[in-house]
Amino acid sequence: MNAMGFAWRSLVRQPARAVLGVLGVAAVGALLFDMLLLSHGLVISMRDLLERTGFDLRVTATDALPGSGPLIPDAVAATHAIAELPTVRSAVALRFADAIVDHAPRGVQATLQGVAGSAAHPWTILRGRDIGSGAEIVINENAAGRLHAAPGTRITLRASCSSAEQSLPPVTFTVAGIARFPFDTPNGTTLAASLDQVGEACGASDVSEADVIMVASTESAGPDAAVAEVAQHFPALRVLSNADAVNRFERGGFTYFRQISTVLTTVTLAFAVLLITVLLTVSINQRLGEIAALRALGFSRWRVVADVFCESVLIVGGGGLLSLPLGAALALALDRILKRIPGIPADVHFFVYQPSALQLHLLLLAATAVIAALYPIRVVARLPIAATLRDEVVG
Amino acid sequence: MNGTNGHIVDATRITRVFPMPAGPVTAVADVSLHVGRGDHIAIRGPSGCGKSTLLHMLGCVDTPTSGTLLFDGRDVAQLSDRQRSLLRLRSIGFVFQRFFLLPMLTAAENVELPQSEANVAKDERRRRTRELLEYVGLGARADHRPAELSGGEMQRVAIARALANRPGLLLADEPTGELDRSTGAQIAALLDRVNADGTALVIVTHDPSLAERSRRVLNMRDGRIDEDRTLP
Repeated sequence: MNAMGFAWRSLVRQPARAVLGVLGVAAVGALLFDMLLLSHGLVISMRDLLERTGFDLRVTATDALPGSGPLIPDAVAATHAIAELPTVRSAVALRFADAIVDHAPRGVQATLQGVAGSAAHPWTILRGRDIGSGAEIVINENAAGRLHAAPGTRITLRASCSSAEQSLPPVTFTVAGIARFPFDTPNGTTLAASLDQVGEACGASDVSEADVIMVASTESAGPDAAVAEVAQHFPALRVLSNADAVNRFERGGFTYFRQISTVLTTVTLAFAVLLITVLLTVSINQRLGEIAALRALGFSRWRVVADVFCESVLIVGGGGLLSLPLGAALALALDRILKRIPGIPADVHFFVYQPSALQLHLLLLAATAVIAALYPIRVVARLPIAATLRDEVVG
Repeated sequence: MNGTNGHIVDATRITRVFPMPAGPVTAVADVSLHVGRGDHIAIRGPSGCGKSTLLHMLGCVDTPTSGTLLFDGRDVAQLSDRQRSLLRLRSIGFVFQRFFLLPMLTAAENVELPQSEANVAKDERRRRTRELLEYVGLGARADHRPAELSGGEMQRVAIARALANRPGLLLADEPTGELDRSTGAQIAALLDRVNADGTALVIVTHDPSLAERSRRVLNMRDGRIDEDRTLP
């Protein structure tokens, strides 16, 4: 019987202890797995979301986030000029505004987007069709539900386009289609029309202002070359690739997720080590006589050490396997809770699976098995055979 | 392989001193003992006289503080821990008062364990295990776990386990200490048979009836052999 088989039988001999150990490691492992998914999850999710929009550059007037800083003047002309650059495939200008849609009894608060440019619009039509010329609008599912609207329905809204209080006249649009917007929040109401229609709704004299110009680079050039070229032609504007945006996002406000994750990972691993060390040590102390007898019968020091190590591996391995589905289920539940934070896009996730997280999880569990076994291994390796046999008889 | 003089064990003026907080305690003092092939030796004496310590040194689980202990002609003090483990595995069998069978293994698996450690081939292990369990009268209890066996049966399994790798020397520390008189007599008879079949036997015992079955009885007192009797 090899060391692993022997360790298995030792665990089965004390099923309550084995189950306690495996469940303990499963619980701790699930938390560990979730912490690893959380440490980079939001950033990865945001990067995926940015890439799914089909644009890999963002051009803004300043470093402020789109919608929160000054507008890009003459954005339509800039968008057309950018779209003509050799490294650029297409470009689209976007303007964001708030709006209240007339609907009894108090109206519906909405986010209004205006779009102009050569590229495909940054939304996906679910029903009906995309906006054409004239006063047409697409709305998301939440808007359709709240306004009881469908393609062909006419809606009237009042836009609010700056921080100063404005009293703008109502504007009427015809719903062309129902669309899905990548940055929609779970309960957000989003509407989108052409940039000039939104400009008019905002009462602007210059209807070609925009918050951001989204740019798709050509496959051959790639985003870095496109960033350089756009920045060279428009030195007054701020140009960011998706990678730059993610880096800013990572540096800016979300490093604390990684910090929390690191702290909790360390704590959970410490618990796992303590749990397994205590279980193994108690088990070994109950079996000192047997171990001394095995040594007297000729079992080498390394063999009894291997038995203890294999017990640790089996407990951690069993618990580690269980921790994966448990951690995945826990991540789904926690993700649902965290996504209730206001302003978080519905497609953004806090816990994102990545192979590297699984690899690190397995590596940390393997290290746990080794570290947890160190003390019990020391006890077994230094066990004085004769004294133990004598003590067992006297005891 | 025996030593050049035909002895399995040559202990010459061995002493074992244990360092204690109150000062060193001499458990075995200046003992010389030679165990030859087929010997049947009993060691008697009051509790704490050093019987078990001497047995442990003869079995290479402890080393003398001074003196020379040769096993099959090799100086045990010069052997590494691994070499001593191999020596015990292949040349020495141990029987303990408390049996120390592994409770999660069946009788057969307990007997198979030292053979497995000695890398005996699986078929050979199975055959040898069956043979040994038949030898100790437990062929029908091979698949029983220790908890399902009586004290005498457990000691029989322990004897079979000790003989698994065909040792030249079997050491037994109070092998009947946990058994009633009748069961103890059965174990004593089994040990006699083991010895008659060629295995040297050294038994530490308080039991006079067990000691009197030996051909040589050593009486120990205060760590020394104060009487060495050869029985007819």
